[in-house]
Amino acid sequence: MKNILRRISFLAVGLLAVSVSLFAHHGNAAYDTSKTITVKGTVTDYVWANPHVFVKVDAKDESGNTVHWVVEAQNPVSMTQIGWSKNTFKAGDEVEIEAMQAKNGNPVGFLGSSSPTAPRKRIVINGKQFQP
Amino acid sequence: MSKCSTTLLVITFAGLTLTPILRAQTATSNAPGEEAKPDNKWNSVPPIRPWYAGKKSAPAPRRSLSGVWDAAELDGGRQPSGALEHPALLAPRGQGVEGGRPDETGIMRPLHYTSQGLEALKANKPSGPSVRQVPAALANDPVDQCDPIGFPRMELYELRTIELVQTANQVIYLNQFYGNYRVIWTDGRELPKDPEPRWNGYSVGKWVDDYTFVVETVGLNPRSWVDHAGRPHSEDLRVEETFHRVDHDNLELTVKIIDPKMYTEPWLGLSKFPLHLQPADFDLSELICSPIDMQEYNKQVGNAVLAPSEKK
Repeated sequence: MKNILRRISFLAVGLLAVSVSLFAHHGNAAYDTSKTITVKGTVTDYVWANPHVFVKVDAKDESGNTVHWVVEAQNPVSMTQIGWSKNTFKAGDEVEIEAMQAKNGNPVGFLGSSSPTAPRKRIVINGKQFQP
Repeated sequence: MSKCSTTLLVITFAGLTLTPILRAQTATSNAPGEEAKPDNKWNSVPPIRPWYAGKKSAPAPRRSLSGVWDAAELDGGRQPSGALEHPALLAPRGQGVEGGRPDETGIMRPLHYTSQGLEALKANKPSGPSVRQVPAALANDPVDQCDPIGFPRMELYELRTIELVQTANQVIYLNQFYGNYRVIWTDGRELPKDPEPRWNGYSVGKWVDDYTFVVETVGLNPRSWVDHAGRPHSEDLRVEETFHRVDHDNLELTVKIIDPKMYTEPWLGLSKFPLHLQPADFDLSELICSPIDMQEYNKQVGNAVLAPSEKK
């Protein structure tokens, strides 16, 4: 029995390892689009690169524990078109970011469409609403 | 009211209404809250398609394609479900059941596959939103690994902005998406008979009239997909592009796929797709698929999105 469990866990780890290298451009499918959550905390990193720009935020959960969030947007060219830049966030910024959360419940958020005509998610940086 | 003050009024009104667009065109490297720098001539941003509506244009110049041409990616150039003329969808996006199907039976505008074509289609597992969508972990889209996008997929996946440069014997074609270039020979040479495959093929072009330029491309690497829905092609694929200069500011692109090994009849990926001329100082921004950036993204974002829940 132990052996079987060990094999299953190896298989699970193997699948995960494969998924890492194949993952890209998942669109909305991996996120719960039915509701909006707010990630509130301190920026620890901001990566302005392909395939998607992302910002890392340390937030507190209900019990006061620190949760490491990552919120992704779209590629830098598309984000530039709606006024983002490599300077939009910096480590230490206090932020509130509205996003959709990953369906698996992990602390990952997504800002959705970057279409210039789509409604923008609410973002507050150091007490000031971000309006590019 | 004098003619002069009417003109002034029109200019002021246009200035006010277009301010957000013009600002978006220049707001490329400013910190939040900072005003856009009007002298910023780098990483230009094209307007969105509604901006062009009703615009008057000068007549088309004869036998000329040179310039930066924008496809309004977010308003039409983006083709996540497959080539624009044949998306692999049962109904317009958002209205039909998507994903999980073994083939394309029932899609709105079906393609006609040979048995070899159908087999090749099934071997390609797309992760984009279409009838055969599979979970990202099971997809085998070469582009997910930053492998070359190839031709014609560079026109049938995310068509954004291209630059065409005409010389005495070539048209140089620069495609922003994932940084591709092609050379289209206009010196009258024949296409190669049995060429070594290339991701972007071998192209020759000719003017069929003063405003219509037709390009034929062969020798395409069959490891690339035709579009984001995993449409296959063989080494026999021939692509015919028609660039029709409608007037000074507008160009139409038609892309025909001819591959008798895979499809029982030719089909159009794009049909008279509108491209808009940008100002002469328009600077294409870089959009490269970098394996090292992809790896970092997967590590920091992708893995967490796909991983099973850690919640009890």
